[in-house]
Amino acid sequence: MKALKGVMPTLAASTIMLGLAPAAQAELAAVGNPRPAVILYGPTNDGGWSQSIDEARQLLEETLGTRIAQAAEIPETATAIRPAAELFIERGANIIIGSAFGYSDTFAELAAEFPQIMFFNPAGTTNAQNLQSVYGRTYETHYLCGMVAGGLTESGRIGFVAANPFGLVNWTVNAYLLGARQINPDVELSVVFTGSWGDPVRERAATQALIEQGADVIGQHVDTPTPQIVAAEAGIFATGHHRDLSEFSAATQCSSVWTWDLYLGSAIEAVSAGTFEPAPYGAFLSIADGAVDVACCGPAVPDDLAARVMEAREAIIGGMHVFAGPLYDRDGTLRVAEGAVLDDGALWGMDWFVAGVTGQ
Amino acid sequence: MSTPETATGAFAIVPRTGRARAAWQSLRIVPLLEPRQTVSRAMRATVYLSALFLAGVLSVALLVWAGVPAGDLWRELSSVAFNSPRALASVLAQTAPLVVAGLATSIAFRVGFWNIGIEGQMILGAVLATAVAVYDIGPEPLRLPLMALAACLGGMAWIAGPGWLKARLSMSEVITTLLLNYVAFNLLLHLLYGPWQDPASRFPHSEQFAAAERLPRLGWQNLTWSVPLAAGLALALWWVMSKSRLGYLLDLLRHNRHMAHALGVPVAGISIAAVLGSGAVGGLAGFTIVAGIESRLTQDFFVGYLFSGILIAFLARNNPVGVVVAAFFLATLMMLGQSLQVFFGIPFALIRLIQAIFIISVAGSEFFLGYRMHWRRAA
Repeated sequence: MKALKGVMPTLAASTIMLGLAPAAQAELAAVGNPRPAVILYGPTNDGGWSQSIDEARQLLEETLGTRIAQAAEIPETATAIRPAAELFIERGANIIIGSAFGYSDTFAELAAEFPQIMFFNPAGTTNAQNLQSVYGRTYETHYLCGMVAGGLTESGRIGFVAANPFGLVNWTVNAYLLGARQINPDVELSVVFTGSWGDPVRERAATQALIEQGADVIGQHVDTPTPQIVAAEAGIFATGHHRDLSEFSAATQCSSVWTWDLYLGSAIEAVSAGTFEPAPYGAFLSIADGAVDVACCGPAVPDDLAARVMEAREAIIGGMHVFAGPLYDRDGTLRVAEGAVLDDGALWGMDWFVAGVTGQ
Repeated sequence: MSTPETATGAFAIVPRTGRARAAWQSLRIVPLLEPRQTVSRAMRATVYLSALFLAGVLSVALLVWAGVPAGDLWRELSSVAFNSPRALASVLAQTAPLVVAGLATSIAFRVGFWNIGIEGQMILGAVLATAVAVYDIGPEPLRLPLMALAACLGGMAWIAGPGWLKARLSMSEVITTLLLNYVAFNLLLHLLYGPWQDPASRFPHSEQFAAAERLPRLGWQNLTWSVPLAAGLALALWWVMSKSRLGYLLDLLRHNRHMAHALGVPVAGISIAAVLGSGAVGGLAGFTIVAGIESRLTQDFFVGYLFSGILIAFLARNNPVGVVVAAFFLATLMMLGQSLQVFFGIPFALIRLIQAIFIISVAGSEFFLGYRMHWRRAA
């Protein structure tokens, strides 16, 4: 008995114990007839986050054989999210897919109000019987792209343009340097936080500053391809985030990419079959789960380096953890003990940088 | 480019060649503009309704051109966007903060103080209100009033600087209020990525407010007390503006500052009061959103209200009741845009275009209220 039972677990449990048929109001409307709709935070052509979800939507249209409606540029405020979701539900959508952590509270309210509707929210933080927040273990992919950066740098100094300093950005910065040091143990990394998810002007200034400091490979975790474009202008290499950014700039030698169609496809299938079990603390997906991967490697990456990256990718799929001890932060404090790995709670709360990271 | 003899008027469309041109030249019809002294209510209503109708026709034409069947369009919009209580609730929920932001803008505009810093004042208001919530200041029953008060003070503090700089140093408030928005935003980011980061999710927004720190629900749909709060504020300001002595003096000030001064009206005091009042209401707009809608301090709760506030104040001609109407109009447009996107999969750019058509039509129709047009043959 795997069918979702709505928001009252005790009620669901008693139904199972009594062996009764599932209560009608708790049954997900999508069982046997999934009708997804997507609410996008950004424009469908942002070149990054929102576009990666919209591309998954188009792929899912093919695999499900049905049109999937979408509403774009829905800001992270309840007054905008709620009507969009309600209109979709009124129109018969029974799986609502969001795309922003700012949707989390409203999605939690909606999930309680509409127990028969399934909600997914990439980058969300709230979960329920019919609400699953999803994010990728992007430190795995940035570790791999960091290896590429470590192999390509001649100056031994790589730059990283990042959006905002908190857990899910900080872990990409740290993993990037750890990856780079697998190839070149002397690499140093300078990071600049732009304070914005997408600000091409500040990203350009940050990238130029990093290049002036001697960085000859640029990594990034922002929403636009600006760092790649500046890197190409300067004749150096870069790695991308969200999507394969080689389409914007030939400087791109590796990208951390979202493969949402793989996760959402199998999740929707499970919902339709009535077998979907939400992870109570959110689905935190690795390369092995198929929500995140690397697009590697560009033409500048030598074959032996590419082979090492792919070997490491296999190792990660096989269970290797990027943040395995002993790991010290840049102040010399031991953060992960010998033989231990960083747990998920510590990852989300990561407010420290590994030794070798300089910047703010 | 028209030759001198065909340049008959700014609005004349002159055929370039042939018989049509000859006929036109024999007529030489030019528009003459005569400023209207008075505008009747019926006239005003007719002009605005015509503008809305014209915008509607243009928008439908655009949508049909974009591939939406005209019959479906009417059926969907009339049945879902206007008739369902849920849709009305969504529009009202969006209207409330727009009203407060529009009021804040219009108060300052009334005394000729170009407050382009509504977003900064909203941020400071929301930050101080959140401080009351995060640090549990005051007993629980007084928590919400304290948050509102803190928000007013925050907004006032943020506009006091530009006000002082303008009064003492004649520094342009357009620049100072605008730039202070960025200072406020960076303060917000500092707090959300630093001391106020949500301890539960470790994401950059504040912790969720407790029940006593949120505006209570009205019990109808999902609306909170933000709606009556906005309506009450508009009503109070309407009374001040049109019934009170202060409102009369404000009008006098706006029309002739020097005469008001000569008559012994405390020009400086009244201006300062209006500017600080604008900031206070701006802060309250921030409070309305964090306590009435988001239930926490978020990174971009304020985005768009600067532009919307100016637009609303302009459409409403700084009249508080007009602000309510204009805000409702703007919220309806946003809601309509969402419906169109959801129902017909229309690209967002087209939605923006339609919203712009409506706003330009209504704003442009002001011209016909200001002037009477005579078409006559040129001498």
